[in-house]
Amino acid sequence: MTTASVPVAAALARRKPPASVRRRRFLLAVANHSLLIVAGIAFLAPFVFIALTALMTNGQALSSHLWPNPFRWQNFVDVFHQAPVLRWALNTMIYACLATLGVLVSSIPVAYALSRIRWRGRNVAFGLVLIALMLPPVVSVVPLYVMWAKLGLVGGLGPLIIPNWFGDAFSIFLLRQFFMTIPEEYLDAARVDGCGELRILATVVLRLAKPAIAAVALFSFLYTFNDFFLPLLYTRENPSRWVLQIGLSEFRSLHQVQWNLTMAATLLVMAPVIIVFFLAQKAFVEGVTLTGVKG
Amino acid sequence: MTGLTVRAERSAPLDRTRARRKAAWRRRRLVLLLMTPWLIGFSVFFGYPLVMSVYLSFTHYDLLSSPKWIGTANYRYLFTQDPQVGAAVRNTLWIIAVMVPLQVVFACGVALMLARARRGVGLFRTIFYLPALAPPVAATLAFVYILNPATGPVNILLQHLGINGPLWFQSTSWSKPSLVLLGLWGVGNTMIIFLAAILDVPRHLYESAELDGAGPLQRLRWVTLPTISPVILFSVVIGVIAGLQYFTQAYVAANVASGQASQAGDQTVNNLGYPEDSTLFYPVLLYQHGFRYFNMGYASAMSVMLLVVAFTITLLIIRNSRRWVHYVGAAK
Amino acid sequence: MRRVGIGLLVALVLGAALLAATARTSATAGTSGAKAENITIWVGWSAAELKAFKGVVAEYDNKHADVTVKVVGGINDDKITAAIRSGKVPDVVSSFTSANVGSYCNSGAWIDLKPFLAKDKIDVNMFPKTSQYYTQYKGKRCALPLLADVYGFYYNKKMFKAAGLTSPPKTMSQLTAYAKKLTKKNSDGSIKVAGYNPFLGFYSGNAPDLTTYAPLFGAKYVDGSGKSVLSRDPAWSKILKWQKSLIDWYGYKNLQKFNAGAADEFSASHAFEIGKLAMMIDGEWRVAFIAREHPGLDYGTAPAPVDDAHPELYGAGYVNGTIIGIPKGVKHKDQAWALVKYLTTDSHALAIFSNGVRNVPTTKASLTSPDIKPDAHFKTFLKIFANPNSKTSPITAAGNAYGSLIQAFAVKWQAGHAGDLAKGLQKLDKQIDAQLKQAQAGGVP
Repeated sequence: MTTASVPVAAALARRKPPASVRRRRFLLAVANHSLLIVAGIAFLAPFVFIALTALMTNGQALSSHLWPNPFRWQNFVDVFHQAPVLRWALNTMIYACLATLGVLVSSIPVAYALSRIRWRGRNVAFGLVLIALMLPPVVSVVPLYVMWAKLGLVGGLGPLIIPNWFGDAFSIFLLRQFFMTIPEEYLDAARVDGCGELRILATVVLRLAKPAIAAVALFSFLYTFNDFFLPLLYTRENPSRWVLQIGLSEFRSLHQVQWNLTMAATLLVMAPVIIVFFLAQKAFVEGVTLTGVKG
Repeated sequence: MTGLTVRAERSAPLDRTRARRKAAWRRRRLVLLLMTPWLIGFSVFFGYPLVMSVYLSFTHYDLLSSPKWIGTANYRYLFTQDPQVGAAVRNTLWIIAVMVPLQVVFACGVALMLARARRGVGLFRTIFYLPALAPPVAATLAFVYILNPATGPVNILLQHLGINGPLWFQSTSWSKPSLVLLGLWGVGNTMIIFLAAILDVPRHLYESAELDGAGPLQRLRWVTLPTISPVILFSVVIGVIAGLQYFTQAYVAANVASGQASQAGDQTVNNLGYPEDSTLFYPVLLYQHGFRYFNMGYASAMSVMLLVVAFTITLLIIRNSRRWVHYVGAAK
Repeated sequence: MRRVGIGLLVALVLGAALLAATARTSATAGTSGAKAENITIWVGWSAAELKAFKGVVAEYDNKHADVTVKVVGGINDDKITAAIRSGKVPDVVSSFTSANVGSYCNSGAWIDLKPFLAKDKIDVNMFPKTSQYYTQYKGKRCALPLLADVYGFYYNKKMFKAAGLTSPPKTMSQLTAYAKKLTKKNSDGSIKVAGYNPFLGFYSGNAPDLTTYAPLFGAKYVDGSGKSVLSRDPAWSKILKWQKSLIDWYGYKNLQKFNAGAADEFSASHAFEIGKLAMMIDGEWRVAFIAREHPGLDYGTAPAPVDDAHPELYGAGYVNGTIIGIPKGVKHKDQAWALVKYLTTDSHALAIFSNGVRNVPTTKASLTSPDIKPDAHFKTFLKIFANPNSKTSPITAAGNAYGSLIQAFAVKWQAGHAGDLAKGLQKLDKQIDAQLKQAQAGGVP
């Protein structure tokens, strides 16, 4: 282990390290890359298996063959014939879009009030938001189900969508953290111009907080798109209101476990999210970083 | 709603107080307007269920007739007589104790490798993140198929290598590890957060460590890890909360692996927790009692206990964290 | 500000409108139309069997212009229970799990049909005794039978000939010997063709497998005072020990692998139908499936083999059936009842439905109806159904919950995780008694 004998760090950086160190660094880099490649293959393998199975015939899917022969692209069409996938997709979009809209509409004002306006009880309210964040939703499920049953809304998408229009703890938290980083000068400038608080929120803050808002919208959409538990509770007995996740989980039992079709359906359900990811990669990664680093 | 109006100079101090009070009123009205949706939401979707859960936990309620008060009978059954609660609690604790550390270590490890890599970082990042995007239902279905002991690709490949693959989701000892594998496949989110935090570590810390003679392992132990410890804490807390609510993957895996096509329309055998209650987690058991048997009173008792445990564990972790988490000042 | 405000308002209105639309379209209960009443019926059948049922209902629809019946298939008991709880009920429901009638009647989830029967002067003795038993609980008759199921023995004649066997086994020891003879293994030790699969949970048909064996061993569930006797009736230990010894002969892991690789029970690649399984105990509906999917299969049907110590039980089998009733909260009770009455008592309807799904018709009249298409394989099952030793599961207030308890224990036992059999059965008895007590009292689970 070479100990640095040169006093200036900058000079150290500028000088080429000795051959032994360079060789060690090279080997380490190779090892690092090899590990990454192995891990990458392991991560990609399931996708490959799913895709291959989705192209097999039913008999092949049940046998020990790994490669489809022939390639049955027909499977993807068959999925739509055998199950009302489009209806499921429609239900999913209704749920996801309305819920996301609700989250944005209700959480942005709350986050603003918690971050940029001073009022008594603000810290208490924020504390309550944090506590709500830590509540496992499983805990509140029973009384809420009773409530929705009494209101006659079980079986529809109402119990899924409506709560999102009354604030979502996670989104409030995220937005508040971000709003707090907005320099007061922007807001003061607007105030001096004669803007009311609501106007400031609508114009200045929204524009400055676009990455955070995009992140919240993205997460909300993803979360509701992937949601299984709530639709299971409320729409399981009503096939006309099934979302994609419920439909997929029941798909194998609707059609006597044809694994090739089930895998094709699985791919179809995964596809939208992955496509959205590739289109909005930057927003995705920024958003995820936001939650972790600001959290 | 406009800003401040300027008044004519009559009695300055009184006007100022009046103006200030008016402004304060307007501010309060504004806050009320902004906070109302959340206030309603909090009381209806958080406060009310909490109170009702406690109330219902002391009743027998099947939604067909009104709740019948039975005192602590539900809790007594929960703690002493329910034959499945022991398994459910053990399994949930297992998944927290095993999956959370594994996920954090794995995510951190992959992030460290990515941080060091020179070429193809974007591609690798995408590859590692993609599975986290897969909907849990789809991912679980895929894994149950892939890990099918007889016809799944994994066991077939192992066969070619001469290894007799385990029974994965069909075995009581391998079903939970199979779920852990599924969980590790989806660490993309956590990995990205770790990657960002690792790349954020100030370079001068590494340089001064190197000057002091620290090797790469020591730099990792004394510079990197402490600096990203807030992120580690965050991941652990999130992981524990997720573990306490672990439902979807267990439910779908048990249903699919047990191979019972509900096409027959019949489900005389409850296959949640297949095989032999090894995938029965506390939320799954709660669902079974509340929404299969419709014993809502008993399910409420279960949910009250879950709440107590969740709070306690989270508080313990956060309090314990003060010992090992360093908040580096002036971070971004 | 104004733009944002209006935008918000529009979004809110749109949202509310969509919500109202979704809520309304999700109602599955019949809404009273002006002229033709719409009623909905939920059944467990699906695919081809559902088609047969829809045919029967279509005939009813044509005869009754004032009613339009909507049929929803693929229903199971969970969905029925959930629908009743949530208040959105169909007008008529039917279930494959006759054992649940106890909880349906006891809790009032399905309404008592006695007043309707009295009004239309229907004598319940037109239904076979067993079917009468599994459609009522403690005097409350909240269901009627809609075709019954009976379990018998299927065997592959071609494989029998190849192994030199001439007739189906009549006792358990014969069954075990034949099973070992007919089993073929792969070079790596895994099972290629299974002679008989004793694994509980494999292709369980419509009943918890253990109850299928109960009538074959003469096993009793409860004693005179209603207490569970699984540990005291030696028949149960006999069943479990026999089953486990055969499993151990195959190898538990080998069987699991075989099961995992087998196609779905109701698919055209059913293990017996494609020759991977030589013998099996299954319900009478399999006859229709084979006729549809593998008409060339050379197979035979017979009563299931019985305990060597009880040869007199030969010819009996496990019986249960589909039950049909009217859930609580239905508005069009009279139209619902009219449909129920037609489906359960009309000989013609029962006969043609029985032809379609090959289930046993459940009135004495329909059993001898000229509309029934004769079938040699199916005849075996009619005989088993008529055998006085054929039994069904006991009807209790806990519904089928205790059946799950038994199954859960048996599954542990066959894996070798249940320890001492006698002690395990005693514990199981206690659990069952506790559950029955609480279900009756309306207390905790």
